Amino acid sequence: MNVQTQNWVAVGVLEDIPRRGARCVSYGAMTIAVFRTENDRVFALEDKCPHRNGPLSQGIVHDGCVTCPLHNWVISLETGQAQGTDEGATASFPVKLEGGRILLSLGRA
Amino acid sequence: MQKLVIIGAGMASGRLLEHLFELDPDAFDVTLFNAEPRGNYNRIMLSPVLSGEKSYEEIITHDEDWYARNNVACRFGEHVTKIDRERKVVVGENGEVPYDKLVIATGSAPFIIPVEGRNLPGVVTYRDLDDTNAMIEASGKPGAKAVVIGGGLLGLEAAAGLRLRGMDVSVIHLSGHLMERQLDEAAGYLLKRDLERRGIKVHCNSSTAAILGDDRVEGVLLEDDTAFQADLVVMAVGIRPETRLAVDAGLEVARGVSITPQMQTLNDPDVYAVGECVDLDGMLFGLVAPLYDQAKVLAENLLGGEATFVPKDLATKLKVTGIDLYSAGDFSAEDREEIVLRDAAAAVYKRLVLKDNRLIGAVMYGDTADGAWFFDLVKNGADISEMRETLIFGQAYQGGTPLDPMAAVAALPDDAEICGCNGVCKGKIVNAITEKGLTGLDDVRAHTKASASCGACTGLVEQLMSLTLGDAFSPAAVQPMCGCTDLGHDDVRRLILAKELKSIDAVMQELEWKTSCGCAKCRPALNYYLVCDWPDEYADDYQSRFINERVHANVQKDGTYSVVPRMWGGVTSSKELRAIADVVDKFNIPTVKCTGGQRIDMLGIRKEDLPAVWADLGEAGFVSGHAYAKGLRTVKTCVGNDWCRFGTQDSTGLGIRLEKFMWGSWTPAKVKLAVSGCPRNCAEATCKDVGVICVDSGFEIHFAGAAGLEIKGTEVLCQVRTEDEALEYIVALTQMYREQARYLERIYKWAKRIGYDEVRRQIVDDPERRRHFFDRFVFSQKFAQVDPWSERVSGKDKHEFRPMAIVPKEAAE
Amino acid sequence: MDAAVLDTTRTFVEVTEIWIPDGDRLVQAGGNYGSHGEFEAISGMESFAKGEGLPGKAWLEERPVVLKEFDGSYFKRTEAARAAGLTSAVAIPVFADTTLKAVLVLLCADDDVRTGAIEVWAEKDGLLMLEDGYYGAAKHFEWVSQHTHFPRGQGLPGGVWAANTPMLMRDLGSGYKFIRADSAGRAGLTTGLGMPVPVPGNRAYVLTLLSARGTPIARRFELWDARTAKVGTSGQAVLIDGICAHEGPLWNEDNPRRIGAWQGLVGKALGSGLPAVEHGRPSIVHGYDTMVALPIYQGDAVAHVVAWYC
Repeated sequence: MNVQTQNWVAVGVLEDIPRRGARCVSYGAMTIAVFRTENDRVFALEDKCPHRNGPLSQGIVHDGCVTCPLHNWVISLETGQAQGTDEGATASFPVKLEGGRILLSLGRA
Repeated sequence: MQKLVIIGAGMASGRLLEHLFELDPDAFDVTLFNAEPRGNYNRIMLSPVLSGEKSYEEIITHDEDWYARNNVACRFGEHVTKIDRERKVVVGENGEVPYDKLVIATGSAPFIIPVEGRNLPGVVTYRDLDDTNAMIEASGKPGAKAVVIGGGLLGLEAAAGLRLRGMDVSVIHLSGHLMERQLDEAAGYLLKRDLERRGIKVHCNSSTAAILGDDRVEGVLLEDDTAFQADLVVMAVGIRPETRLAVDAGLEVARGVSITPQMQTLNDPDVYAVGECVDLDGMLFGLVAPLYDQAKVLAENLLGGEATFVPKDLATKLKVTGIDLYSAGDFSAEDREEIVLRDAAAAVYKRLVLKDNRLIGAVMYGDTADGAWFFDLVKNGADISEMRETLIFGQAYQGGTPLDPMAAVAALPDDAEICGCNGVCKGKIVNAITEKGLTGLDDVRAHTKASASCGACTGLVEQLMSLTLGDAFSPAAVQPMCGCTDLGHDDVRRLILAKELKSIDAVMQELEWKTSCGCAKCRPALNYYLVCDWPDEYADDYQSRFINERVHANVQKDGTYSVVPRMWGGVTSSKELRAIADVVDKFNIPTVKCTGGQRIDMLGIRKEDLPAVWADLGEAGFVSGHAYAKGLRTVKTCVGNDWCRFGTQDSTGLGIRLEKFMWGSWTPAKVKLAVSGCPRNCAEATCKDVGVICVDSGFEIHFAGAAGLEIKGTEVLCQVRTEDEALEYIVALTQMYREQARYLERIYKWAKRIGYDEVRRQIVDDPERRRHFFDRFVFSQKFAQVDPWSERVSGKDKHEFRPMAIVPKEAAE
Repeated sequence: MDAAVLDTTRTFVEVTEIWIPDGDRLVQAGGNYGSHGEFEAISGMESFAKGEGLPGKAWLEERPVVLKEFDGSYFKRTEAARAAGLTSAVAIPVFADTTLKAVLVLLCADDDVRTGAIEVWAEKDGLLMLEDGYYGAAKHFEWVSQHTHFPRGQGLPGGVWAANTPMLMRDLGSGYKFIRADSAGRAGLTTGLGMPVPVPGNRAYVLTLLSARGTPIARRFELWDARTAKVGTSGQAVLIDGICAHEGPLWNEDNPRRIGAWQGLVGKALGSGLPAVEHGRPSIVHGYDTMVALPIYQGDAVAHVVAWYC
């Protein structure tokens, strides 16, 4: 069978996350940061900066990116890629909003 | 196919045909008349042909093949005698040609000054190849002499060319200096000098009275009775549109053939005109660029288009090998400003003409490297206010390149003229600055007059001051806050107050931020400025603070946190120590360490434990030590007269009082204080942001020290008698710093920037102002002096410390 | 003209060499020796002290030097030159201010057919007088030009002197009238390349290379302007004039060609500040297999680069 299934897990509601901020989802040993941007879009990245594993969930969110609080790497919320001249990426997870509920996909696609 | 007849095969008509055939090769059956017995060639390059530097063959633009390929019926060497508009026929010497559309491109005829002898053989004008060949022929006789009447572009090119050919050449010019339409006297002088160095004799202010000779020219006589021998006289005194055919045909003719901006004649829709023969609302066109524009417009309109010709700015170059001269734009405007650069040693002269912050004209002699760039600025009408100071140095000195504008000024020789209005040169300004110890622009103005009149050279003068005084002189240079804006910190602070902007969104909207959310650099800065300026109205935007300030603990490299409770003045008690020890044990905190700020740090606390840790510490009476904040950190003290035999005052008491008064306040950057009980300075007060050295007679207040990446001893603010005064001065100083500094700027940097004397002036010399600073700080503390830990313990921002969800691994698979 | 046509006419200049100072001697640093392998081998082993040989003389006396008789002269490679049929030479020193950068040497063969002229003009009493020149088969011109002088601004030499820039004349003008005239059935010298040769002490020297139709000095010329007064501080050079037997005129007033330092062979001369001679390289402009690029200094900066191709 070759069916691609995505397992969507409800992790909270939009209001749980401060605008331009993030909340964490604990998944086994991994922590996933779920971000809410200025215009209420949501993104999910592993809470680990590709540089030195800094907690991205605690960085400043701006224009579709988050700046890691440890050494100021700027990471794209959509792709997890480091911006500018820095190279590296953090894992990103599909996340969607359904009627105000945040659904996170954790099965590897 | 319609019939198109064109009278004149000059450069405009050649371009017209090119465009026409490009757009629609089959639209017209073209007949081309030309009085000259040849097709179109680049008339502008006749001067190099005259001099021998180019051959005629090289400058032909359309040869026989080209006309044949495009099916143009060529009637070269045949004059048109009449245009019969009723029958729509053009009558040439050799026959008639009917037309559906007619284009008159008869060009210009040269002015002939109405003096006796003007028709003698040997007197030539300078318009076409025949004239050029006549001149070349005349130069063939060794030792022949030429007199050129007219010292404009054309006359000078003729003179140089004839000289190269081997003739003895003199130029006679009516005005006071050469090329007076493009150049001023200074540049005209340089040009005259260069021509004379080629052996060409130049006579300005000279008016021709008559041309002498019997069967052929022998000489030229001036009004003042001077006479020159001449085997050849070239008349290059100007041109006027050739309009005879149009006049005879009953078309409207002003100074030239009158046309609409669509290139049509005014009273016959089937007849058009293009090139030097036209007159558009009184404007004539003698340079090639507008002619090319006209040709393009006309080609479109002949095919039914509605294009419009818009005259634009012009550039001219003098084509004499070895002379670099370039001029562009307009020099005649009223209320214009000028920037002039003269370098006598390099024989360089540049003059820029500005009006309303736009470049409208430029002349360059000796260095034309930036000619095209200046011309673009003229054409675009760009606002050059930002680059005013370095504009005259050309493209290489504008932003974006690593070149330092100071290098240009440094390289100027001492006799380079800086202030054109008052004739002040670099050396004079520099000497005045050094000899008289001038430190400000006003000083320089007063002592040298430089920049005292029109002010256009102010930027240059400021650069000279920078060059001479170095760091001691700081011209206003605005560094933008970040990539989201062009405004500097000071501008933004000023505007936040002036425009009463009370939220980050308002700031970004009103000040036209380039991004929608700012960035990690500007958001925290804006948040601070708003907190400082509107303490009662602005709600701190926590998402614009760094994590440390959000969770009130210091994030460590492994994601754990360190917690530092306040220890007022570095003084503790057994109860406090016991509370700390209990917390350490209860939460298995790995490391306990004393800090340089005279308090205790607990490191390795997990984020989710923070509220509980604080709860326990809070119960013991601790509040946050703000070890992470851009705010008051610590107030170090030494023992003082409580215990120490040298203590002059109660340094510990003062320190505690200061810390209790000032804690919780946000500041542009961290603030560290210290109070030493005597000049032995055991609390190291003289390297702090603000420090106090107690003395017998009172308290010596210090400020602007640093002991981090940079080490700097403090400056003395003043000495006060009482503790109350000490508090007032220190708080006022801190508030002044809060209101005026840039985010992330430590006190020592801010004070140096605005000047230590300025700080003293506002805090020490101005009691009323000091009081106001003090009051504003107090007001701000009403909102700021809140223990963040107790807030969080009670549930504020609890989302920071708990995950939103915990997903067991099985649920997802 | 068809670029594919093989032009077998021998050129006026047989050998072009570059000598550069290495310590206190001049050593060979490239050149085009055509088919003269022996001469090339010998030259590769030579070096000249200041004042020694032809290149050394140009260095010591700080001027261009013409030598038309090798036997019994200071020329050092006389035997080898005779064997190769080379009979005359011109040494052109390249000075950046007072520092010698290189000496370019052009060697010619004597014969009855090839007509051209290489002249060195020097300033004397405010006029340019012919210091010496080599005329190939047109020996009769020599006498006349020795009695010609040019004031500033007049003629090709006077024009180059006044303008301090290389010039390429399509039509030499009345100053050269005598050699434009058809003489004894041979073609006259009609076009000429003139360039300033700056030397310490600022005495004016002008070098001219005159061509007749049958035996051109070169079939393609390029004049590049690299002065900051023209191109700013870009380090580039712009093509101000040029003509090619294949392509025709190379100049373009509205959109002149530009090159940067080290870009191509002209760029190499521009960047290194040294003459460049190349032979048989595929990068040379199509249709030619030899080129010479000579930098001309004003002060210590390269102001122009002149290139000619055969």
